[in-house]
Amino acid sequence: MADLRTLPLLWDELVDAHGNPRPAAAALVERLRSLDIEELQQRQGLAEVDILALGITFTVYHDGQGTDRAWPMDIVPRVIGASEWAQIERGLKQRLTALNRFIDDVYHDRRIVADGVFPDELLQGSVNLRTECVGMSPKFGVWAHICGSDLVRDADGVVYVLEDNLRVPSGASYLLQNRAISKRAFADLFELQSILPVDDYTDQLRRLLVSLASDELQGVRYPQVVVLTPGVYNSAYFEHAFLAQQMGVPLVEGADLFVDTSDRVWMRTIDGPKPVDVIYRRLDDQFLDPEVFRKDSHLGVPGVMRAWHAGNVAIANAPGAGVADDKVVYAWAPDFIRYYLDEEPLLPNVPTYRCLYADELAYVIEHARELVLKPANESGGYGLTIGSVATEDQLDAAIEAIKADPRNWVAQPILQLSTAPTLCAGELAPRHVDLRPFVLSGHETYVTMGGLTRVALVDGSLVVNSSQGGGSKDTWVVEDS
Amino acid sequence: MLLSRVAERLYWAARYLERAEGTARIVREHSNVIVDLPLTIPPNWDNLLGITGGREGFDERYDAGDEVSIVSFLVADPLNPGSVYSSIGHARENLRTCRDILPAQAWNAVNDLYLAAVRGAADGIQRRHRSRFLEKVIAEHQRLLGILTTTMSRDEAYTMLRLGRHIERGDMVTRVLDVRAGLLLGERPERAELYDDLQWSSVLRCLSALQMYNRRSASGDGAAEVIRFILGEYTFPRSVAYCLAGVQASARELPRSESVMAACRAALAELSASDPAMLLDADELHNKADRLQILIGSISDRITGAYFGHTAWPS
Repeated sequence: MADLRTLPLLWDELVDAHGNPRPAAAALVERLRSLDIEELQQRQGLAEVDILALGITFTVYHDGQGTDRAWPMDIVPRVIGASEWAQIERGLKQRLTALNRFIDDVYHDRRIVADGVFPDELLQGSVNLRTECVGMSPKFGVWAHICGSDLVRDADGVVYVLEDNLRVPSGASYLLQNRAISKRAFADLFELQSILPVDDYTDQLRRLLVSLASDELQGVRYPQVVVLTPGVYNSAYFEHAFLAQQMGVPLVEGADLFVDTSDRVWMRTIDGPKPVDVIYRRLDDQFLDPEVFRKDSHLGVPGVMRAWHAGNVAIANAPGAGVADDKVVYAWAPDFIRYYLDEEPLLPNVPTYRCLYADELAYVIEHARELVLKPANESGGYGLTIGSVATEDQLDAAIEAIKADPRNWVAQPILQLSTAPTLCAGELAPRHVDLRPFVLSGHETYVTMGGLTRVALVDGSLVVNSSQGGGSKDTWVVEDS
Repeated sequence: MLLSRVAERLYWAARYLERAEGTARIVREHSNVIVDLPLTIPPNWDNLLGITGGREGFDERYDAGDEVSIVSFLVADPLNPGSVYSSIGHARENLRTCRDILPAQAWNAVNDLYLAAVRGAADGIQRRHRSRFLEKVIAEHQRLLGILTTTMSRDEAYTMLRLGRHIERGDMVTRVLDVRAGLLLGERPERAELYDDLQWSSVLRCLSALQMYNRRSASGDGAAEVIRFILGEYTFPRSVAYCLAGVQASARELPRSESVMAACRAALAELSASDPAMLLDADELHNKADRLQILIGSISDRITGAYFGHTAWPS
């Protein structure tokens, strides 16, 4: 019989401090407790065979070499009650609406700066601000069409937003694949209760992308959408291919597209050039157009920014959307909600010290041991220093870096990330998890049902990123009974 | 709508897969027939290098042309770009970037084939495990073809796969005929003719053609009939005629295919230009096979020029 251990003083997603199942997880916990650990391991083994057979991989870079690895997934799902999820969903919609209003404001009148709510110096020093985008008005006023926000739950049970990924967030395909695998591993439980489906994500995404096409195409032709990938060596290539396949649109590389002298985008086909109306790009701004950004980029499409400026092509996410995807700008997200929407945030931020301000900087330096120190623009868990586990040298180095460039650093209390039972070395052990739901913004806003649960597979580790040894779980949003 | 880049990768993936299966069939059949030959006829493994090409690569890295070396080279050698193992790997690399167009199940099948190759290729060198491994490769590729045949729309992507498959198979058939039949028609050890029936059967077997040949040509006997069958039997899917007809039918469905169609017509004309009885001479047969290979190569060049050229449009 599988035993469900928890860690003292931490929140576990499946069972409470007394070992009783949380209401939404009752059926799952009962099933886990009825199974031998051997049986669970067998189901895990079968899931891993499925993952290999389905070719679900991601690419890890080491010494400039990319290696394909099987996607690591733990079959024991993480469960969230539908009513709690409904709250989170509202909070995410509110947050993305405000973030998009902020981006649009930044590229137009900067009312928020004029009104003294957001410091101008942050915009001046932002590496993600694209002056080329000033004055642009993408459809619906939306810039960050696809967002993956990272949520964490602290020991007190409160769910916080840890960061917003507004550039090219990855993971939606893994969310869908995890569900496919878990349906096989726990087929019996899907019959017993209402686990809300996640499969409509790609339909929603396609609908969103089509809706971004220029209104001038109405009655002329059905908009041609493409997914633009940096290529097979990108760590998320699996996802690019998967999404293109599911949406039934071409997966293109930069060299497949060209922009003509009248600023129209075409793709090279065996029957000659064909027009392109919407580009879901999966590469960063800097690589998008060598005419405008990095000149040495072979991944992008020369002239695509001209075409975008001319209104001949829609780009998702819009160039420049990353200005709000910055661990420093993050600290103002609750202010954006109050300022643009005149509402109180439904989902709290993690308390964040902004080293830009002398008093907060002083606090950070003094309490560095109790804090996580984060540079503004790293992703994938790179570059951050966890005060409680860093060596003296590491901590000193981080503090020096902060003093040298305070605008680009923030610090947050070390959260006690919640845990979920995870099959590790022959037992169900508590492991830290986070959650990445995906939010689609266009004419309307859509949030995935649940999200991608990432899990730190190493005992005690808080790093959930798959590039650094993290795993994943299916996330069940279960109708409360 | 099919991207030029994707068209090119599909075409080459199909060629590599067909090459892997073709090589697997040849090595399997050769391994079988060797066992039946008397010790006085030395087993000729060397001719397999003539069929599959790559002799230079082999000579660079292997000392002797013995069974183990040649089978390793053809089946498992990652440095031989034409080995069964490498061909499957190249096919997978090409298809990896076409996953958005293949039926999802087809990609699973490609992975199964690849995993079979990764796990089994080394064992495939030993006679004891060889046919099991080669059967597995053939069966997995056949499964993939079954999936494509029954689940993929007959669109341009499918046509590209079909083109690549038929070009590669047609080319392979001419090579088998050239080398294997050439051996039987040329100078040979004493008393070898006693085993001619066996050997001619093995030429047919290499192409998995024996049973169909027997049915079709119950009265037919001898070398000329075998040559006619392999070159010209339109009803048999592993004949040159069938492959070329397949290429032509595929090309007809593509846009702007005039130059490819013209090359197909030239190859078909060459095919029907001579009486099989005239080819019962090693040199004649070799020249014929050579001309056919050149013509098949020119079809492939025209496909490349018409559809894969990235420079054909303004940029």
